[in-house]
Amino acid sequence: MSGSSHAAVSAQHGGNIVLRGIGMLSQVAGVISAMMILAAVAITCQMIFIRFVLNESTIWQTEGVTYLMIAATMLGLPYVQYVRGHVNVDLLPLMLPPAARKALAGLVLGLTLAVTGAILWHGYHFWYEAWDWGETSNTPWNPKLWVPYLALPLGFGLYALQMAADTYAMASAIEPPFGLDPDATLTDSAPVERAE
Amino acid sequence: MDPLSLGLLVALATILVLFSGISVAAGLLVVAAGFLIIFDGMSSLSLVPEIFFGKLNNFALLSIPMFIIMGAAIASTRAGADLYEALERWLTRVPGGLVVSNLGACALFSAMSGSSPATCAAIGKMGIPEMRKRGYPDSVAAGSIAAGGTLGILIPPSVTMIVYGIATETSIGRLFLAGVIPGLLLVGLFMVWSLYSTWASGDTNVLRSKTYSWRQRLEILPRVLPFIFIIIGVLYAMYGGIATPSETAAVGALMCLIIAVVIYKLWDPLAIWSVLRDSTRESVMILFIIGAAGVFSYMLSSLFITQSIAAWIGELDANRWVLMGLINLFLLVAGFFLPPVAVILMAAPILLPIITTAGFDPIWFAVVLTINMEIGLISPPVGLNLYVINGIAPDIKLKTILVGSLPYVACMVVAIILLCLFPGLALWLPNLVMGEAI
Repeated sequence: MSGSSHAAVSAQHGGNIVLRGIGMLSQVAGVISAMMILAAVAITCQMIFIRFVLNESTIWQTEGVTYLMIAATMLGLPYVQYVRGHVNVDLLPLMLPPAARKALAGLVLGLTLAVTGAILWHGYHFWYEAWDWGETSNTPWNPKLWVPYLALPLGFGLYALQMAADTYAMASAIEPPFGLDPDATLTDSAPVERAE
Repeated sequence: MDPLSLGLLVALATILVLFSGISVAAGLLVVAAGFLIIFDGMSSLSLVPEIFFGKLNNFALLSIPMFIIMGAAIASTRAGADLYEALERWLTRVPGGLVVSNLGACALFSAMSGSSPATCAAIGKMGIPEMRKRGYPDSVAAGSIAAGGTLGILIPPSVTMIVYGIATETSIGRLFLAGVIPGLLLVGLFMVWSLYSTWASGDTNVLRSKTYSWRQRLEILPRVLPFIFIIIGVLYAMYGGIATPSETAAVGALMCLIIAVVIYKLWDPLAIWSVLRDSTRESVMILFIIGAAGVFSYMLSSLFITQSIAAWIGELDANRWVLMGLINLFLLVAGFFLPPVAVILMAAPILLPIITTAGFDPIWFAVVLTINMEIGLISPPVGLNLYVINGIAPDIKLKTILVGSLPYVACMVVAIILLCLFPGLALWLPNLVMGEAI
């Protein structure tokens, strides 16, 4: 977007091999996520064909595509973090001087990591219980629930990894706080990236 | 602490956290987790993954990525420019045909893409330079497209309406229909202002349209009609009772991808990937906010905040229109800073009980809320469409775009007042097509 005060549109690795590796992992997760959404389009169309053209009933499609969409969302989290696609309000960071901006960025990254870590931890237990007890969805299709639940620890794990990489990149000055141009102030245009 | 004071504390904490620069979804999770830990203990966090998963485990949500793919596929082609050209060629006898056709193209493109910035960019790229070339004032050229672009979230299919439908458990089909007449009303108001403003600027010759031969008019149709057929097909499938919004959206997404490849020759695999990549990024961002907002609203109801606010409003002896005015003011301010999807997801669990208790229709309210969000899209400090226009026409000053957009904000306020006076503007069509709501 023209006039944006964002210095970077994706995570910076500054030649660091670990950061680059984590970034690549996030991108792979993004490709898988996109393919899952595409598969959901194809399966939904197939379902409509079976139901309305062949006049037969469908069993697994509605549930299957919903799980695909959930998995696409979870696996897409690290990728969207990598391309800085999670929407936020930059007004306060833009108003702050560099040192305070960096401190705030540290706090924000720390809070996000903490909540992501908590969901990863409890998500793992949630998945493990479903695996251990052999839980199923109690629907006509009745799949084992550990399969869709796996997306929770996997997605949030990769998301936490990308967040950790971003925290390191910010702390070691590879990337400016909030990805903002260090000279950017409130008077610069496009202080926020928004959906819709 | 009583739930109402707690509610105030949650509101303050949410504002503080969201203004820190944290992503909206993570911010909602942080606030929800914080209050759950403080009031229900650490163990309450063990429910968060299940709530998050459960919130997303809804087939209706699939319509979001599907409609986003549909919009991204169309936006990747020059369909917007074709649409605007086609309208201009067919509206030769209409005074100010160019600005009228630009706004008409915005409305039609909104119906295909469901996205405001995509509409703004697609129509504005051709429309703004052409209007300026023919002598329209910069403020009209930029303002009309910025405002026309906001129709993307009101005219169906709209992702914003889907999110509202899911957040409030109201019929997405009804919501889509409710947006049609207010959408057309807004287009009409925008057109009237654009024509008046151009006429008032002094040079009325500008309003004269070019003339086109029948050959020129007919030759552009094959590039536009497929999309019109898709819109008709999507609406027929949805309201003919053939398919749900998610199913319809999936077929629409596939058809738009096919049209982009076949008619607009989008053969390059990289170009197709960029459509998928952009759709994935936007879908994941919205779905993450939906999951996080699910956890947030669980926290609100588990601490009895939602229920207490509804009960408190019920006991208040306030005039319902004063209440509606205050709600509008709140939405307007929230819309200045936050994306529509985030505002709806955060506000819906609190506002819905209030508006139903006060006797307002949730379908009608969706339209009022969406127009408020449209105002946010063209208002400072973060009006996205202003920056999209700034990107398309960098030589028009941001200030001119902003000033040019203000009269259109006034048009939207007029539309909200008209909706308050005549709720039938939003409710008549859904009631006609789908019967009276129970």
